[in-house]
Amino acid sequence: MFESIEEVRERLAEQEYVCDRRLATVVYLAMKLDKPVLVEGPAGVGKTELAKSLAGAADRSLIRLQCYEGLDEAKALYEWEYGKQLLYTQVLREKIGEVLGPTEGLREAAAKLREQEDVFFSENFLVERPILQAITSETPPVLLLDEIDRADEEFEAFLLEFLSDYQVSIPEIGTVEAEHAPVVILTSNRTRELSEALKRRCLHLQIDYPSPEVELEIVRLKAPGVGDALAKELVETIQEIRALDLRKSPSIGETLDWARSLVVLGAPTLDKDLIEETLSVIVKYDRDAEKVLAHVGGSPDRKDLGQKVPTGENPHEAMYEMHRSTHKHTH
Amino acid sequence: MDTVINDFVQVLRRHQVRVSPAESLDALHALEQTGLGERGVVRDTLRTTLVKNLDDIETFDRLFDLYFSLRPMAEKRTAKLDVHDHDHDQGQPTSMEFGEDADGAAPDSEEHSHEDSENTEFRRHFDEDKMRPSEDIHGEADKMRLSIFSQELILNRKPGALDQALQRITHQLKLRRARGMFSPGDLVSHGDGGQELPLDVSATDFQGLVDHLHDLDVDESLIRQLEEQSEEILRGLPQLIEQMVECQKKLEKKKDDSALMRRSLRKIFDYSPAEQRETEAAIRRIARQIHGAKTRRLKQDRTGHISVPHTLRRNVRYEGIPFKPVLRRHHEKRPRVVMLCDVSMSTRNMSRFWLHMVYQMQSLFSKVRTFVFVADVAEVTQFFEESSMDRAVDQVFSGRVLDADVNSDFGKAAEQFRNEYLPALNHRTTLVILGDGRNNGKPPNAAALEEITQHVRQTVWITPEPKWGWSLGSCDMPLYELLCDRVEVVRSVDQLAGVAEELVRVRS
Repeated sequence: MFESIEEVRERLAEQEYVCDRRLATVVYLAMKLDKPVLVEGPAGVGKTELAKSLAGAADRSLIRLQCYEGLDEAKALYEWEYGKQLLYTQVLREKIGEVLGPTEGLREAAAKLREQEDVFFSENFLVERPILQAITSETPPVLLLDEIDRADEEFEAFLLEFLSDYQVSIPEIGTVEAEHAPVVILTSNRTRELSEALKRRCLHLQIDYPSPEVELEIVRLKAPGVGDALAKELVETIQEIRALDLRKSPSIGETLDWARSLVVLGAPTLDKDLIEETLSVIVKYDRDAEKVLAHVGGSPDRKDLGQKVPTGENPHEAMYEMHRSTHKHTH
Repeated sequence: MDTVINDFVQVLRRHQVRVSPAESLDALHALEQTGLGERGVVRDTLRTTLVKNLDDIETFDRLFDLYFSLRPMAEKRTAKLDVHDHDHDQGQPTSMEFGEDADGAAPDSEEHSHEDSENTEFRRHFDEDKMRPSEDIHGEADKMRLSIFSQELILNRKPGALDQALQRITHQLKLRRARGMFSPGDLVSHGDGGQELPLDVSATDFQGLVDHLHDLDVDESLIRQLEEQSEEILRGLPQLIEQMVECQKKLEKKKDDSALMRRSLRKIFDYSPAEQRETEAAIRRIARQIHGAKTRRLKQDRTGHISVPHTLRRNVRYEGIPFKPVLRRHHEKRPRVVMLCDVSMSTRNMSRFWLHMVYQMQSLFSKVRTFVFVADVAEVTQFFEESSMDRAVDQVFSGRVLDADVNSDFGKAAEQFRNEYLPALNHRTTLVILGDGRNNGKPPNAAALEEITQHVRQTVWITPEPKWGWSLGSCDMPLYELLCDRVEVVRSVDQLAGVAEELVRVRS
C-alpha cells in the first residue's frame, strides 16, 4: 500500500493533511506492522483529522466510534437483535410442528429442537457495531476510536483482545477474526492516563501544536483566501499566544476559524483593535482573554467579548454573529 | 542490532522508563521495516514503539542522544588517527571497523559489558558505604567515608583524586546544612567521582575484543584487517574508553538517586514518574472501594430508561407484549470526595506528598473538592484543576491562599468548614481528612467534626503518625478517631498501596 515513509507523507499531503516526518514514520510503521496507533495531544491539533485523511489517502472506508462515559460492548462491539429474534419466534411458531414432525416422546422432540437451536443465535440476529464491522468488513477499513480517554477503564479492558489480535469473541458464536487487519487509530486528549496494557499494544504518537512553518502551510492550504502577509502575521500571533499560560491554548482549528473570520472581515493586516474584536474566536475563557489582551497591549477592561450583544451599529459586529455559527471545529 | 537495541532498552529501564519485552520486540520489527539509514527515522521508530508515556519522552530523547553518540565519537577518534598514520592506505580507512553499521554492534557492546562489570564493582563498594551510615548525624559517618576515600586514593594512585575527595566532602557538608532541617538522615551526596577507572588497557583486552568479534560471525577479512591495525587501535583505545566512561557515567547517573529517593519520602520534592504511577495505581484501587464509587453497570430500578432486551425477555411469557417494562439506570456513577488537607508546619514534610495524592485524586475523578487548612480553611480545587501538579502545590504554599506558617488548629478549621462549606457535603460524599490531629493545645472542638461527619456517608482520616505516637504531645487523634469510620496511617506510597490492599480485602 504505502511503500515508503515519503509516500505516506505525499499521500497525506494530497488529502490536505500537512504532517512532519515523525508522524509519517509512525503511520508507515502502523501499516507495515499491523499495529494500532495511539495518538495523544491537546484538543484541536488534528488527531481525528489524521484518521480521516489516512482513510482518504489509503482509499479505505472510515469507521468511527466516538467514545463516551458509559460506552459498553453493546454499543461498540455487537448486540443481539432481541426484537427480531422475538418476531421470528412468533412467525415460525406454526413451522415448529412441521419441523418436529411425528416424534415419540418429549426427549426426541427436544433433541430435534436442539438441532435447530442455532438458528436464533446466528449472525442474522447480530447487530454489528463499529468494532465488529471493522473486523468483518471485506476491505479492511480505517477504524477511528475517538477520545478513548472518555470511555471507562472497563471499556479499555475489552478493547485489548481486539487490539492485539484483531478478533472478537462472541460467546454464542465463537471467535470472529479479521481476515485483513484494519488500521486502528485511537485518539486521546489525556483527560486521564490510559492503562499500560492498552498503551503497550499500540504505537504511540504525540502530536503537539505545530511549528510556525507547518502551521503557516496549514493556513495556506485550508484557508486559501488569506493573504501571505496576513497569514504570516496571524500564525506569529497565535504562536505567541500559545506561549502564554492559558487555560485553553488556541488550537489549529481555532487558527483556521480566525483566518476565515479575517477573510470575511476583509482585513488586510492584523492590528491591536482587530485582535481585540476578534479575540473570542480563538480564546474561549474570559481570564485567558484578559491575559492575551494584556500581552498584545489592548485594554483589559473589555473582557466580556463573547457575551456582547450585537447592536448592528458597528460593522465588525457581524463577526460575533458569524463566529457563533462557525464554532464547530474542523479538527 | 539486537544487542544494541537490547542494551538501549536496559538503559531506558534503568532510568525508569518501563519497556516491556513485547515492546522491544516491536522495536526490532519496526526497525526491520524502516531500516537504519537515517538517524531521525530510527529515533522516531524507537520512540513510537518503546515510549508510551509523555513524561518519558524527554528521558528518551536525552538517552537516545547520549547512547547513540557513543559510536560517532568513536568514529571520529579513529578517523583522526587514521589520517595521521595511514595517509596512503588506498582509501581503506581504519574507521571501517568501528563505523560499519551492521557490525558496529560488536565493539560497542564489547566495551559496554567490560565497563559495566568494572563500574558495578566499584559501585557496589560505594552503595554499601552510602547505605550504612545514613542514619548517623554525628561525625562517625564522615570518618568512615574518609577511610574509604583514602583506600580509593591508594587504589587509584591518581593525583587529582585527593582534590576530588575533598571536594566531595565539602559537597556533602553543604548538602547536610541545606537539608538538615527536614531530613537529618540524608547525608549522602550523589557525587560519582568514585567511578574513576584505571585506564591501562592491555593487549589481552584487545584479544578479548577480537574473540568477541569472531563469535559474532563478522567477516573474517575484516577481523584480519583489524588485527593488522591493532597497534593504532590499541593506542586509541584508552581515549575511546575514556569517552565511553564519560558517556556511561551520564547514562548511569540517575540510578543512585532514584534508589535513595524511594527510601525516603522526604525526597518527595523530586517526585519521580515511577512513584507518580504507583500513587495513581494505589489511588485507583482505593477509589473503587470508596462508597459511591462509580459503576459502569446498569441496575434495574423503578426509575430510569426502558431496557428493550430485558423487557422483551421478561415479557416472553406474555407473548412479547410488554406488560412489565424493565427500567434500568446507572448507580452512583462517581465517588464524591471532599478532601481536607493539613498543610501546617508540623506536617510539612507529608503535605507535599498528600497534595500530590490530592492532585491525582482530582485528575482521576471529576467530583473531588479539595480544601486545605492550617487554622483557616481555603478551597484549592481550582488550582489543581488549572495548573500542573508542581505549580499547584507551590501555589498552596505560597501563602496567598492562607497563612501556612501559623500553628495548626483543627478545631478552628473544622468550625469554619462547618459554617461555610457544609452545603458541599451530602449523604453520598466521602470525606477524606489528611492531617496529624495535633492542635497545639487548642480546643479540639470535636463537636464541629461530629456535625460534619453526620453530613457525609463516610469519613476517612489519613494520618502520618502511628497509633503509639498519639499519646505524645498534644494530639487529639484519640478523640477524632471515634468520629471517623476509619483511620489509616500513611507515610509513603508503599503504605498507601497497603491501605488500598486492605480496603480491598475487607470488602471481599
